[in-house]
Amino acid sequence: MPTSTVHAAVAFLLAVGLLGEYYDRRALAVILGIVLFPELDTALGLVMDGAHRTVFHTMLTSIVAAGVVYWDTTREGSWIRGRWGAYGVRLSWVGVFVHTFAHLGLDWAHLSGINIVWPLVDQFFSLDGELYYSATEGIVQTFVDIAVDPETGRQQVAAGQGGTTANTHVSSPVQPSKESSEGPVDRRFPIAVGGWQLYFLVVGAFTLLARRLQSTPEWIKEN
Amino acid sequence: MPTTLVSVAVGVLLGIGLLGAAFDRRSLAVVTLAAGLPDADAALAALGVGAANASLHSAFVVLGAAGLLYYETERREGSWLRARSGWYGVRVAWVAVAAYAVAGIGLDLFSSDAVALLYPLSDRYYAIVGKLVVSTQEGIVQTYVDFGGGWLGLASPGTVENHTVDSWLTPAGEERRLRLVESGWQAIVVLTAVAAIPAKVLVERGDR
Repeated sequence: MPTSTVHAAVAFLLAVGLLGEYYDRRALAVILGIVLFPELDTALGLVMDGAHRTVFHTMLTSIVAAGVVYWDTTREGSWIRGRWGAYGVRLSWVGVFVHTFAHLGLDWAHLSGINIVWPLVDQFFSLDGELYYSATEGIVQTFVDIAVDPETGRQQVAAGQGGTTANTHVSSPVQPSKESSEGPVDRRFPIAVGGWQLYFLVVGAFTLLARRLQSTPEWIKEN
Repeated sequence: MPTTLVSVAVGVLLGIGLLGAAFDRRSLAVVTLAAGLPDADAALAALGVGAANASLHSAFVVLGAAGLLYYETERREGSWLRARSGWYGVRVAWVAVAAYAVAGIGLDLFSSDAVALLYPLSDRYYAIVGKLVVSTQEGIVQTYVDFGGGWLGLASPGTVENHTVDSWLTPAGEERRLRLVESGWQAIVVLTAVAAIPAKVLVERGDR
């Protein structure tokens, strides 16, 4: 994972704007819970090979969550709407958005990536590459590499496929490496790695602080 | 620099977050423009004025703009901006200054391309790069800032004379490149910004 602190900071940045008039401390706490929840699969890693970045990091969690929220909020006698009203509906949608982009999205672009459509297909995907316009080569992108195999003549598409749950282990403080080693184990809890991760910590904090300092006159209604 | 496209994307996210009731197509356009504006110093550099990531990436530009805005809207009798666009105008102006500083300058400062933050007082480029890790074996490991010698030391790739920030107008290598996205996380930031606009418009309409 880009560290949990980075996930939380990006989640706050997104939630402040999308929650709008429903923004309050309780909603932020719920968002924090949603964005940290997928890391629970690190604990599953102790009993299941390659569970981290697989069980709760599959994009199917987003699709299922969005489907459930959509189904519930559009039917008669909605449970979310009945219990928490429009506040609950907004919070649910923002939760799905934050889970998808601030957690799964960032993990997709980090280390071995995520097991993107597990359990349909057991394969890790990582997003890496660049996109630029060059004066000599035109537009170049290296995220998805399509090449023709010179021997068989078949097209091959490389979009950052990695291993499967059997041979991929994404390190975490709970389980630094797959095999337990002799001697003291070095468990590392990264807070920020690289300039950009610290940057997003700063941006998240800045957004929360700025939102606190802002004042909106009574007669202007926010949505 | 992380590309102008990524600066613009972060500007979009800041705009969605901080515009509040002033959020609409026009205000988001203003904030987005402010986020991309610092990178225009590459164009000035190509004309022979200043240097890329220096003249418009200076902290003094932000301090000047914020000071001017504060004086104009809070201290002066009969503020022009307040008279013209009221509360809306003031909010948009402050968020634009924030986007200029955070998305435009900040993003470059936290990368190896570096920013000449004190230009024109100092020609030196500064970069905040490193890591912060808590290890059970080594304690807190921090390499962003060097505290040696009683000074706050930041990594620096050089000064305006010997460090060129690569861009389309000021190529550092032999080949001209307009960089759009440099890595996976930048792609995710751009995608998130692209998705956040319709998401915000949907919740604004109040049906989600």
